[in-house]
Amino acid sequence: MAAILRTENLRVEYRSRESQSGAKVALQGLNLSVGAGEVFGFLGPNGAGKTTTMNVLLGYVNPTAGAAYLFDVNVREPIARQRIGYLPELTYYYKFLTAEELLRFYARIFEIPNAETERRIDQLLKLVELEHARKRPIRTYSKGMQQRAGLAQALINNPDLLLLDEPTSGLDPLGRMKVREIIQRLKSEGKTVFFSSHELGEVETVCDRVAILHQGELKVQGRVSDLLSEHQTNLEQVFLKIVGYQPQTS
Amino acid sequence: MLKARLILVLLFVVSFSLATYLQPVRAAREEAGGESGGVLALLLGDGRKMFANQFFAKADAYFHRGNYPSIFDNEPHHEENHMAGEAAHGEHAGEDHDEDEHKLAPAQDWIERFGRHFYPTEHVHLEAGGEREMLPWLRLSAELDPHRVATYTVTAYWLRSRLNKVNEAEAFLRDGLRANPNDPEILYELGRLFYESRQDPVRAKNLWLLARKRWQETEASKETPNKLLLEQILGGLAALEVQAGRPREAIPYLKELKAASPDPAEIQKRIDEILTGAVAPPAKSKE
Amino acid sequence: MNKILAVAGVVIKELYRRKDFYILFILTALMTLLLGSVNLFNDDRIVRYLKEICLLLIWLSTLIIAITTAARQIPFEREQRTIFPLLAKPIARWQVVLGKFAGCWLASGLALIVFYGFFALISASREHTLPAAHYFQALWLHWLMLGIVIALTLLGSVALTTPAANVTIVFILSVGILFVGEHLHKVAGRMSEPASTLVTLGYFLLPHLEFFDVRRLIIHDWPLIEWTYIGGATLYGLAYAAFFLLAACLVFRRKALN
Repeated sequence: MAAILRTENLRVEYRSRESQSGAKVALQGLNLSVGAGEVFGFLGPNGAGKTTTMNVLLGYVNPTAGAAYLFDVNVREPIARQRIGYLPELTYYYKFLTAEELLRFYARIFEIPNAETERRIDQLLKLVELEHARKRPIRTYSKGMQQRAGLAQALINNPDLLLLDEPTSGLDPLGRMKVREIIQRLKSEGKTVFFSSHELGEVETVCDRVAILHQGELKVQGRVSDLLSEHQTNLEQVFLKIVGYQPQTS
Repeated sequence: MLKARLILVLLFVVSFSLATYLQPVRAAREEAGGESGGVLALLLGDGRKMFANQFFAKADAYFHRGNYPSIFDNEPHHEENHMAGEAAHGEHAGEDHDEDEHKLAPAQDWIERFGRHFYPTEHVHLEAGGEREMLPWLRLSAELDPHRVATYTVTAYWLRSRLNKVNEAEAFLRDGLRANPNDPEILYELGRLFYESRQDPVRAKNLWLLARKRWQETEASKETPNKLLLEQILGGLAALEVQAGRPREAIPYLKELKAASPDPAEIQKRIDEILTGAVAPPAKSKE
Repeated sequence: MNKILAVAGVVIKELYRRKDFYILFILTALMTLLLGSVNLFNDDRIVRYLKEICLLLIWLSTLIIAITTAARQIPFEREQRTIFPLLAKPIARWQVVLGKFAGCWLASGLALIVFYGFFALISASREHTLPAAHYFQALWLHWLMLGIVIALTLLGSVALTTPAANVTIVFILSVGILFVGEHLHKVAGRMSEPASTLVTLGYFLLPHLEFFDVRRLIIHDWPLIEWTYIGGATLYGLAYAAFFLLAACLVFRRKALN
C-alpha cells in the first residue's frame, strides 16, 4: 500500500534558553508511514511532539533535519496540501464572515470551480447541520456550531487525507458521535484519516493503526489489533506501558 | 438593561441642566468684556497668535495660487507678503517686486526636477474676483488674533477694491476697531474706504484726522514709530484737499509730511508747486 | 492569482464590515458641510478653502484607514490564529502577503472613490464645473501613494512585534515625508558631516510621497499634469511598493506563526 503520509528521519529542534545546549529537541528521527484508506491514530502524552509533527505536516514549521511528504510531495510545497483537509483542535475562523462565505473563501484557495463550490457548500452545511445559520457571521455561533463550521471547511475540497487535531475535544456526546460517523463514512469512501487524540477509547474503536510518541521519539507503530493482542490488554494500558507510566503504590 | 437605560437618562438630564446653567454664565462673562475668542481661541490659547500669523501667510499663499516658497527654499521669503504689500501700497506695487524673488532655484537633482511637476511653480496672482479665495484665511486669522491689525486692513482693501464688497469691508474694519479701539491704521483704512469707495471725502477727512491724532498719541513716543503710516495719513489728507480744490489747505499736511518723509525734497517740490499755483488736482497718489 | 484575490476579498469584506470607514467618512462629510455653511462676507462662491479642508480630511482619513487596516492584517491573523487554517490550505506565505496587500489597496481605492466622489460633489456645487480629468489624476496618484504606505505597513507588520508600534512609525514616517521629503537635500546642505551624508542618503532612498500629493494643483485649479509624468509617478510608486512587498514576503517566510 502506497504511503499517503510519510516522514523520514524527521527532526525538529527549537531554540530554548532552558536547555544547556540552547536547543530543545521536539522530534528526533521520526519515521511515520500512513497508507491510503487507513484511519491512523497519533497518540502521546502532552509534550510528546504530536503538535510539532502536525505543524511540520501542515508546513507551519520547517524541520531541522529529515523530510515529510504528503502524496509524495514534500510538505514545504504548498501544493502538498491540495488534497488534505485540516481540522484544528480549537476553532479559529474569521468572525466577521458567515459560514457560507468562509467555505467559499477556502474553496477559492483550492481553486474549485464556482458551480461545484456552491454544490459542496450546500451539501456540507447540511451535513454539519448549519444550514439555518449559513448567513450569520461566525461570531454569533456557539462553540459547537463553530466546530461544526470547522469540520465543514476541512471537507470543502473533498480531501483524500483528513488531518484532525483532537477532533472530539470539547464536544458533547452527540457531537462526538457525529465526528465518529463522519470518520467512518470517510473511511468507507476510501479516504485516509490521520488524527491525534487523547480519547483512547475512541481511538481503539475507529483506528486501524496507531503510533505512540513519547518525548519526541516514536515508541511504537502498528495495527491496533496487533498491539492489543500482543499486550493482552486495552489500548489505554498499552499506552501507559509504552510511555513508562508507573502507578504509585500506596 | 433597565438600569443602564435609567443611568443614561439621568446623565442626559444632568448634562442638559448643566448646559442651561452654564450658558447664561458664559454669555454674561462675554458681555462684561474681554475677548470672546471663540472656540478656536479657547482651544489654542496663546498659540492662536502663531496660528493667526500662519493663516495670514496662508492667505498670501492663496494669492499666489498655491505657489509659495517654504522655509527650506534658498530664496529668502519676502518680508512683506505680496497680498499685504499690494493692499498697503496699491495695485501697482506688485509690479515693482523682483520677479526673480519667487523664481525657484534650479533643481539640484532628478528627484527635485521630477517633483516640480506635481505642485505649482509659476508665479501668478489671483485676479478677476479670484481674490475672494483668500478671505476665509484672513477671517480665520482675525478670529484667532483680533489684535493683528494688518489682517483687518488687508482684508478690507481686497473686499472693497477687487470684490466690490464695500459694506462688508466697512463692517470688518469696524470689527477691527472694536477689538483695537482707535487704532490709527484701521482708522486710516476706514478713511480710505470712505474716500475711494464711497466718495465721501468729508467722512474720510474726519477719520484721517482722528488717525493722525491717534498716531501722535500712540506711535510718536515709540523708539521706532510707524512713520510709513503717518506719511500715508498726511499724504491722504493733502491729496484730499487738493482734490477738493483747496490746494493751499494741503500745505500744513505737506509740511508735516516733509518732516517725516525720507524724501523731503520731493515733498518740498509739491509744496512749491502749490504755492506757485502750478498744481492741478493730481491722480490718486502712488502710496 | 485566484488565491491572492480570494485573500484580498476577505480583507475588503472586513473593511466594509468594520465601522472605521463609515465613521471617518461621516466625520469628513460633517466637518466639510459645517465649514461650508459659514458665511464669509456674504460670498457664496468661495470654494478653495473648502476644497483644501475637505482634501486634508480625505488624506488624513484614508491614511488612517490604510495604515490601520494593513497593520492589523497579519498580526491579527496570528493573534486570532486564523492563519493556521489558512496556511493549511495550498497557499504560500507570499501569496498571503500579496493577498493582504491587494485587499488593503483595493479597499483603500474603494474608500477613495467614495471620498473623492463627495469632494467632487462639494466643489461642483460651488464652482458649477467638474474637472473630471484633474480629479482622476489626483485620485490615481493618491491611490498609488497609499499603495506604497500599505506595502510599508505590511513589511512593518511582519518585522515589528506590535501593531501599535508599526502604526505609529509608519504614520510618522508618511507624514514626515509628505511635509519635508522634498526638502531633505536642502537640509542636508546646511548640516555638518556625518549627518549631512545620512540625510542625503535618506533623501535618495526614501519614497517621495510628495510626488503623489497634488492637492495644491487641484485646489487652485492648475492645468492637468502631463500624462507622461503621471506614468512616471505610477512606475515609481509601483517599484517602491514592490520592493516593500518583496521584503515583507522574505521576512514572513521565516517567521514563526505563533
